[in-house]
This record gives sequence, structure tokens and C-alpha cells, in this order.
Amino acid sequence: MKKTTIAPIAGIGAALFLLSACGAEAGGEGNTATESTSSNEKQSITVYSAGPEGLAEDIKIAFEEETGIQVDMFQGTTGKILSRLEAESNNPVADVVVLASVPSMEGLKSEGMLQPYEAKNGELMNQEWSDSDHYYYGYSASALGVAYNTNQVDNPPGEWTDFSDPEWANRVTMPDPTSSGSAVDFLYGLTSTEADGWEWIEGWIDNGLLVAGANKESLDAVITGDKDVVVSAVDYMAYKAKASGEPIEIYYPESGTVISPRAAGVLADATNVSGAQAYIDFLLSDKAQQLVADAYLLPGNEEIALSDRASLSEIPVLPVTWEGAEEKQIDTLNEFTSKLQQ
Amino acid sequence: MVVRKHISFGALLILLAALAAAPLFAVFVQTFFRDGSFSLDTFLATLQHGRVLSTMRHSFLLGLYVIAATTCIALPLALIRTKTRLAKHDWLDLVFTIPFMTPPYIGSMGWILFMQNNGYYEQLFATAAPSSFFSIAGMVFIMSMHLYPFLYLMLKNALVRMNGSFQDAALVYGTNPISNWIRVVLPLLLSSYVMAALLIFIKTLAEFGTPATFGKRIGYPVFTTEIHQYLSRWPVDIPAATSLSFVLLGVCMAVWYMQSLVSQKFAYGIHSGKSSMQTRQVESWPITVSAYVFTGVILLLSIGIPYFSIVATSLLDVRGDGLSWSNLTFGHYVELFSFQSSGYHAFMNSVGFAFAAASIASLLGFFTALYVKNASSKRQKLIDLTSLLPNIVPGIVFVVGLILFWNASWLPATVYNTKWMPILTYIVLFLPYSVQYTKAALSQLDQSIDHANSIYGPTAASILVRVWLPLLAQGVLAGWIMTFIISMRELVGSLLILPPSVQTGATFIYSQFEQGNVSLGMAMAVVTVLMTVVFLYVVEWLQRKALVKQHG
Repeated sequence: MKKTTIAPIAGIGAALFLLSACGAEAGGEGNTATESTSSNEKQSITVYSAGPEGLAEDIKIAFEEETGIQVDMFQGTTGKILSRLEAESNNPVADVVVLASVPSMEGLKSEGMLQPYEAKNGELMNQEWSDSDHYYYGYSASALGVAYNTNQVDNPPGEWTDFSDPEWANRVTMPDPTSSGSAVDFLYGLTSTEADGWEWIEGWIDNGLLVAGANKESLDAVITGDKDVVVSAVDYMAYKAKASGEPIEIYYPESGTVISPRAAGVLADATNVSGAQAYIDFLLSDKAQQLVADAYLLPGNEEIALSDRASLSEIPVLPVTWEGAEEKQIDTLNEFTSKLQQ
Repeated sequence: MVVRKHISFGALLILLAALAAAPLFAVFVQTFFRDGSFSLDTFLATLQHGRVLSTMRHSFLLGLYVIAATTCIALPLALIRTKTRLAKHDWLDLVFTIPFMTPPYIGSMGWILFMQNNGYYEQLFATAAPSSFFSIAGMVFIMSMHLYPFLYLMLKNALVRMNGSFQDAALVYGTNPISNWIRVVLPLLLSSYVMAALLIFIKTLAEFGTPATFGKRIGYPVFTTEIHQYLSRWPVDIPAATSLSFVLLGVCMAVWYMQSLVSQKFAYGIHSGKSSMQTRQVESWPITVSAYVFTGVILLLSIGIPYFSIVATSLLDVRGDGLSWSNLTFGHYVELFSFQSSGYHAFMNSVGFAFAAASIASLLGFFTALYVKNASSKRQKLIDLTSLLPNIVPGIVFVVGLILFWNASWLPATVYNTKWMPILTYIVLFLPYSVQYTKAALSQLDQSIDHANSIYGPTAASILVRVWLPLLAQGVLAGWIMTFIISMRELVGSLLILPPSVQTGATFIYSQFEQGNVSLGMAMAVVTVLMTVVFLYVVEWLQRKALVKQHG
């Protein structure tokens, strides 16, 4: 008799307790959050940024100094950030998003997840990397080249197709496009402008191409001498490794390569819109653009001088159209994954 | 029995349900409900995807291989530690726990760095490492090197317990040592072995670190990596992730059920009551020598080589220049512990989260264990099962559930995206440790304490504070330390649930491979592991002290 009454009571009790517990816990959090924003002494914004780690950190510090707005930053690869935005769609957190791939920004724009903003200095940015409706700005870019280990390679081949030669069997690696936005850009750029693009890539895969991990992991494989070259290596990482003494060199094949712009925009669900806009303004300012150049990336503002490496005009570029690339990039990714698993 | 009055069944059940059951329920709802009605579409669609079947096959094969490989390592070790001269060296057991306590992703990174082209193997021996290492065999090897201590400890304990009167009886009545072994020891050992092997199987299926590092290189996706991929890579597919989680959950539940069947059917009372005597040791020198060699080789492979790689990498100045005295630096350690560096923050976050999680989990575990005791009534069994759920359910399934549950739109507010989220996750994942350690301490106490309490005990609260807490303190503390250690190194949950601006030691190490400086990551790994070993030593010391007190 006792048992029969206890079960439902326990069940109802559990449900009530669960609700009240969540409410209490969350209520506490909620209160502190509103207090901090309403007091307005310490404004803050949340930025989801796809590296590079040092640069993102430098920009955050400089921005905090200049504006007094605190930045909460989540750093991850483009893939991680996009998935986080999706997972949080019920409780949006981020105000600003910075991705290493323009087509992904296009995707966010088409899903209505961004809001337009006419930023200061917006017209100074490379117009090909930015949205004409001001939903996002290409504040920087990396060129994708061939990085090689100078201890193990004397004369790297000049062209993409050479890596299909038996001589290069099992010596080549490439960042995983499912985690690296720039690697997707590369695949898309190569296959959309070159008729034989996919055949080249198949040639690499048949030749024992290693695809594991994001940009840094593939570069590390070459730094430690596990592999000899990275195709689609982001140049800023290679320059940085070279500067710290690693036996690394990078070049761009004559036939042309892909420039992967990195873009930033304000999210439609941003809670602190003015703070987010201030962050975009700051990214496009000369100060931040200089930080971009110091991190070995190509600044969105071409006026900023580069001393130690190829400037944008010196890099042979494939004529890639980024407009409407988002859908096609998913196809590119699927095609690559299926080729890899054959 | 008096204990049960102190603790409300309802309150405990609700707490445990909110922590452990709600996330699983969220996975279920996300998988089987579309727009409010039951539907198998997502689930079936995921299952029909070509990759899912190969993933399942991969996971199963991996589990079976790892059982086989760990058996080959652990069974001889257990025999060596009970039958040969090495039986005296109890410190070995502490050493054998080091591989198990090493975060798997760090261990496999160590092996990759050692065996790759131009890796440490090649630099030390000036000859190419066998390239066949980068295959499924290599992965089984690495995972077995991580998991064998678990099997070893279970087998050794079973052997030690058996050494008492059973063997005496076998000696008196048996025919010869070999048939004694086959007819007495093996059947008694079998149930322990089957239980441990099935647990190894579940642990292999639930493992994320090694498949995410080594498996990725050889293109060997398993359940955990696929789920993580669906959740964290573009394009995201949450229903696919939950469907896969559900399959994984089902497999683990089935294995667990089999395990409980086996243990019911083949459990013998091997606690004979007679204290286990010192066993007769085999003294012949070939056996002694082989025992030393075997133990040495296993220690070299499970600790020596991975730790050599980790420490060497953490000390390299220019990684491309390889091993040489002039290329060594402590710079990465200095960078790690320079105040305000991101590594320092990550480390302190880990300590803080682990501290909070271990404390709350210990408290919960303490009450749960007091309530459950020997799990005789149905309610006790229910609480016991709920609190042990995280042992059966793979961590990544829980994490998926926690994300879904704490993001549910009907929740009035949420801990998601606050620092409470990782703490909550660790509590859920590691609650079984505190429950089990406290239960173990409780099982050593005599029933008469209950009776004495009911006669002399003033109030329920003071019994709790003045009787149970001191008596169980050592078990609670051991559970606290275990939870702390494991929370410090937890990876897959932290990768998916940390709020912005927050990193832990484990995610810091992982992200150094992805975007940053591998040497810096390895320096963090060394610090984390050193701390783990010190803590483990403390647990060991506490247990020894408690034993001395009991007998002295």
C-alpha cells in the first residue's frame, strides 16, 4: 500500500524539484548577468574567433585598452565555431563572429544570422573579401601555399600536379577541410577554376596524402619531418614557424593559388550591438590592421606595408569567385571526403 | 537501517535524476521525437548511412582486439605479482596505475611522436621505425597499453583472494598442481575475468582520446569520433550525433546486462573468511628472470616510451632540429607558468573545476552510499543504478545529452555557457567514483555500529557528523582525489561544453596541437601527470595508514 502511493508522489516531487532547482540555479546566474550589464560600468561582448591564437589575443587586448569593453573570447577552428553557433541557437551567446572562410560567412548571412553594419574604414578593405551589403568585412587573409621542410627538401616542385609523381609518394600532407575553413576554400578554389582540379587532388590521394587535423597539425607533421610538404598550407603559420627557427619555407606555385579571406561580422542575435560594432570598427582600424600584418597575415587594407614577405600583388592568384560559394563548398567537402574514403 | 531515515529517498532520486537521467532523456527525445511526435525517421536515416555501419564494425573489432591484447598483458602480470618473487613488491601496483591515469590522448601523442618518420625512434636508433605501426594493430597496442592496468588489478585481486583456503584444499585433495589450476583456480578466475573484459570492451567503445589522435591518422573512425565530428565540424548534424549516441548507449547497456548475468551465475563466495596466507612462490630462476623481463618490458612500453616522448617534446626548443643537448630549453615551462599566460589560466581553471566537482560529487556520493548501503531494497537498487549510470554510459553520450538538456528552450534559465557547466559535467561523469569509494569504506564497517547508533545516538545529524563521517572519511577522501584527478584531465566533454574565454588543461593541450605550440602543450601534460602521480601516492598512503590503524 505504501509503495503505491510513494511512486507518483516521488515522481511529481522530482519534477517540481527539478524545475525549482533549475530555476534557482539559473536565476542566480541570470541576476548577476543583468546586474553587470545594467550597471554599465563594465560592458562586455562575446567574440567567437577562428584564430590565429596570438593575433586574436593581441587584438582583444588592444581593443579592451582602447574602448574599455571587456571581450569574452571563444577560439576554435571555423568548423567548431559554426557548430557552436548552431548548438546554441536556443540561447545565443556570441555578439561577433570571426571566421577563416568567406563562404561560411555567406552561409551565416543567408541563414539570417548576421546583421549589416556600415563600419568606419569599411571602404578601405579589399572589396573582393567583403560583403557589398556590409554584413561582413574581410579584415585579413591568408594565402595558401606549399610549405616544406628545408632539411629534407632542396628543390620543391613548381606545380600542384607534381605531387602526384611517384617521387612524392607518402611525403605530402594537407589540412583536414572538415576542420580547416581555409582548406575548404583551397579545394573549392582549385576545383572551380581548374578543369582538372579534381584529378590533381585524386592524384595526391592515390599518392598517399595524409589528411589529419587542422592547419597546425599538418604543418607540425612537416616541421618534425614526418612528412616533407604541406599542400594548402596557411602561409602565416609557416612564416611564424620559420621566424621561430623551424626548418620551414613556403612558396606559391606559379600557376596560381587560393587566397582565403578571413571575415568578421555582427550576429543578428547580438545582445550588445554597439559593442559588437565597435569591435568591427576596431578590426578595420590601422592599429588592428598593423597587428594583422605583424601576425604574418595579409591585411584587408592594402595600404599597410609588408616588409618580410610577399605582398598580395606579388602572389599568383587563381580567379576564384566567392559569391554564392557556400552551397558549392558543401558539395566540394562531400566530394573530397568520399574520394578520401574510397 | 537508521541511516536511511537521515536521507530522503525523494531528494536523492531527484538530484540524481536531474544530473544523470535527464541528459539521457534529452538524447532520447532528440533522436525519436520530431515536432512533438514519435518518429524513427532520423534514427533509421542515420543507420542507413554507409559510414555508420563501418563505424560500428570498427568499434566492435577494436573492442575485441583490445580485450585480447590486454589479456595477453594483464594475465601474466597478475600471475607474476602473485606467484613469483615480484609478489613482495607492492609499490609496483602504484606504478601500474600510471598508464591508466595517463590521459589517453597524451599517451597516443607520445607514441605518434616516437614512431613517426623522423620521430624519436629514428633519431635514437638511426634506423627507420616500422611503418606498420600506423595501422589498426598500432591503435590496439596503444589502447591496450592504457587499459591493461584495469584488467590486471581485477585479476590480481581475484588471485590474491583465492590464495587462502581454496588452494589449501586443492593441495590436500587435489591431484597435481596443473589439474588443480585448471579445475580450481581457472573457474574461480573466470567470472572476474569476464566481468573485467566486458568493462574493457565498454571502455574501449567509449574512449575518445586515442581514436581522435591516432585513429584520425590511420583513417579509423569509431563511434566517439563520429559523434564528436557530427557535433563539432561543419556542417553540423545534431540528430545524427544523437542517433549514433543512442546506438552506442544501447550496445553498452547490452554488454552491461550480459556482465551482470555472468556475475550472478558464476559468482562464488571466494571470501573464505580465512585470511589469505602468503602464497607459495615459484622460486626457479628461469621463471624469476622471465618475470622480471616481462614486467620490465611492459613498464618500458606503457610508461617509458610515451613519457620519454612527452618530456622530450616539452623540452625541445626548435622541434625541427630534433633531439640534441643544445636544443633543449625550459622555456615552455616558464611560458606555461608565467602569470596571466593562457596556459596558466587553463591550468588554474582545471584545478578550480576539478576541486568544485570533486567536492560536490563527494558530498553526493557520501549520501548516496549511506542510503544505498548493500542495495537490498528496490529503492536502494534504483538509487544505486542511477548513481552508477555514468559508469555504463559513454562520456560523450552524456555530454551530448547535457548540451541538449541545458539548451532546452523550455528551461527558464540555464548553466550552459557558464563555468558551472563543466563542473556539472564532471560531477555527472565521475559521480560513480565517489559513490563506489564510499561504499567500499562502508562495507568494511560492522553492522553493530548501526545498532550502537540507534541506542546511543543523540540526533540524526550528530550521528552523521560524529559517527559516519569520521568512519568513512578515508573512503570519501579517496573518492574525492580520484574525481579530482580524472576531472583534471577530462577532454571530450570539455571540448564541447566550455564557455567562451575558458580553457582547461586538457583542452589547452589539445588546442596546442590544433593551432598552437606542441611543446607548450606537452609541458602542460607533464605538469598535469606529475600532479596526478603525487595525488595517487597520497591515496595509496592514506589507504596504507588506514590499514595499519585497523590492524594495529
